[in-house]
Amino acid sequence: MRNARTILIVLLCSLVVAACSSGGGSGTGDNTSSGNTAATGKGKVTLKFMGWEASPLETKSVKKGIEKFMKENPNIKVDYQPVPGAQYTQKLLTMLAGNAAPDVFFLGATDYRAFQKRNVLLDLTTMFESEMSLNEFIPSAAKIMDIGGKIYGVSSCTVSPVLYYNKAVFDKANMEYPPSDPSKAWTWEEFRDAAKKLTFKAGDKVTQYGAFGLENFYMTAAEIISNDGNIFTGDNAQMALNSAEAKAVMQSVLDLRVKDGASPTAKTLESIGMKANQMLQTGKVAMVVDGSWSLQELATMGFPVGVAALPKFKNAVTHGQAHVHAASANTKHPQEAWELLKFLSSEEYQTDLISEGLWMPNRKSLYTEDGIKKWYNSKVHPEGFKELVKFFESAESYPFALITQNKVNDIITEETDKLWYSGQSVDDTMKNIETRSNIELAK
Amino acid sequence: MNAENRLAGTSVEKQQLASPSGHTSTVRGLLRKDATWAALLLLPNIIGFLAFTLIPVIASFILSFTSWDMLSPMKWVGLQNYTDLLNDQTFIKVFWNTIYFAGVSVPAGIVISLFLGVALDQNIRFKKFYRAAYFLPVVSSMVAVAVVWQFIYNPEYGLLNYFLDLVGINGPDWLTSTVWAMPAVIITSIWKNLGFNMLIFLAGLQGISDSYYEAADIDGAKRHQKFMYITIPLLSPTTFFVTVISFIGSFQVFDTVFLMTQGGPARSTSVMVHYLYENAFKYFNMGYASAMAYILFFMVFIITMIQFWRQKKWGLY
Repeated sequence: MRNARTILIVLLCSLVVAACSSGGGSGTGDNTSSGNTAATGKGKVTLKFMGWEASPLETKSVKKGIEKFMKENPNIKVDYQPVPGAQYTQKLLTMLAGNAAPDVFFLGATDYRAFQKRNVLLDLTTMFESEMSLNEFIPSAAKIMDIGGKIYGVSSCTVSPVLYYNKAVFDKANMEYPPSDPSKAWTWEEFRDAAKKLTFKAGDKVTQYGAFGLENFYMTAAEIISNDGNIFTGDNAQMALNSAEAKAVMQSVLDLRVKDGASPTAKTLESIGMKANQMLQTGKVAMVVDGSWSLQELATMGFPVGVAALPKFKNAVTHGQAHVHAASANTKHPQEAWELLKFLSSEEYQTDLISEGLWMPNRKSLYTEDGIKKWYNSKVHPEGFKELVKFFESAESYPFALITQNKVNDIITEETDKLWYSGQSVDDTMKNIETRSNIELAK
Repeated sequence: MNAENRLAGTSVEKQQLASPSGHTSTVRGLLRKDATWAALLLLPNIIGFLAFTLIPVIASFILSFTSWDMLSPMKWVGLQNYTDLLNDQTFIKVFWNTIYFAGVSVPAGIVISLFLGVALDQNIRFKKFYRAAYFLPVVSSMVAVAVVWQFIYNPEYGLLNYFLDLVGINGPDWLTSTVWAMPAVIITSIWKNLGFNMLIFLAGLQGISDSYYEAADIDGAKRHQKFMYITIPLLSPTTFFVTVISFIGSFQVFDTVFLMTQGGPARSTSVMVHYLYENAFKYFNMGYASAMAYILFFMVFIITMIQFWRQKKWGLY
């Protein structure tokens, strides 16, 4: 009953929203002129800024950046509100619907186009082009930010799947580390051999697994791209996943667990709150494929972390994406919002977060030799990390950031669950994904 | 809400009984005054009902005929949301998942809580401790419950598979098995709601006069005969109440699913309210979600009406 009441309360809020929707429309015009007046007057302005808290470390880093911004812009006060990550999009959606959106907010890469399509984001194109250029950004970031030649959000970093390993586990097994240099990346077979050699049993119980993480489609997608497979067609209008290249990758990942026994069931350990980082730390797993953001926490866990390029099928490649910062179309302070957005994408802001291991740069200038000196942190970035840097710079854009139908990802999760956990064949899985997702992409 | 209305009714009845029967004008005056006071005292509840229940219900009814993503203007689409739902394979799947959940958890929950109620109605040592212990899950945070039960269900380290292993049973991959995830959710839900139903049954059992059991003892009835021929028939109003609220609650299950399995794996535990939530707040389909809410409402309404109709047919003591 409590849940039903909660839902009804939300629907009541929707009713209020309906009554306000026309008012909001005319309000936009008024707010714009008010904003201009305020900007001209240079009075003290408060910007509401909302972002998710992926971890306490991230919130701390963001707050530090904001304090720096406020020192440089004494007329702007930033009121930062971190929100739990899991329901961030839902909260933002209801705030936008209620005309109570923050002035500036994080927007996940896969939500960016879905929100823009509904005209709730401030058009930043003019301000962006007068001070920046997409050429300053690495290709994967630039492609995500660009919607039909216009800019509605600016990213401040990039993240990508990489291969983490526990050096102590490799040393103990007298094995060579996986290469950090993408040009020397392990082939899938080399990775598989290593995973099998690093899997140990005590009777029936597996005490150590070789590898973990590839059954998460975010990671699997990178391997598919490395095998010259595509998730979507070139215009992102249809699925391209039902291909021999993609199937080969899915079968390889499945075999690693089912045939080779070198990988634990993904959801089993996740479902008890045991994160990949902890499995790596305790030596339960020798290698983990995870997002590069994990380095922030891994670096603080007190064991020798290594990080390497992903195993390759044909090409050593990974995908890249990151949240953008966007402003509400209804903000009363568009100029000040732009100042904050600009700062949030600056070298100055992202350098701190990169040095802590949470992010990688999205600006080309930070990939030069001089640029790397600005953020490289030997206490965080493992030995050999510099060789890996080009992996991020040349990453492909994360395909799901370029579509607007977020249901497609859920369909893939549902169908791949059947593949991983209930014996559905690779062929049927890819066929079902294609059929069902094409219906969504057509909407 | 129901309890409050019942109490108000009782109050009015007592007033009527207390009135002197000879003075008609006095009686009418008193009744008029009582009605005014009753209305005033009910006002906060009525306002709450209007604001948080009636108006949202009407609003969602209107929304169910629109295509609306909460960010763009509403677009009237007539019955399209309803026809789309009937052709939505995912909706059909979550519909049957909901039936499965309700069909298992309600009967099992009632039987177990009835036996618990009868057991704790005896004069046993530490009775109050056991009652409190069984009721504790009801007031525990569902978030805490979900975390603990996820540990319990872990196939390699979990308590449940550990005990099954002790008796030689190879436990399944509970939450990560498309076959066993729903039974796992059902078990947790039954455990969490057991205490509430037990309490209702205990209250019902208190209402059964000892004289029936004494008469049965004199006639030589055995324990199971007393249970079958005295306890169960006289508890039927209580059983009816527990059945109705359990079915309503089970059709609206959301928190257990959302927190433990997020509807997975492969939507094997996704239920109607979970899919409703996803459409409303994840896929930007508020109109579609409202249509789903109405279909759920009519399902629950019909099932409740069937139970009331059966109630009349069975006859209650």
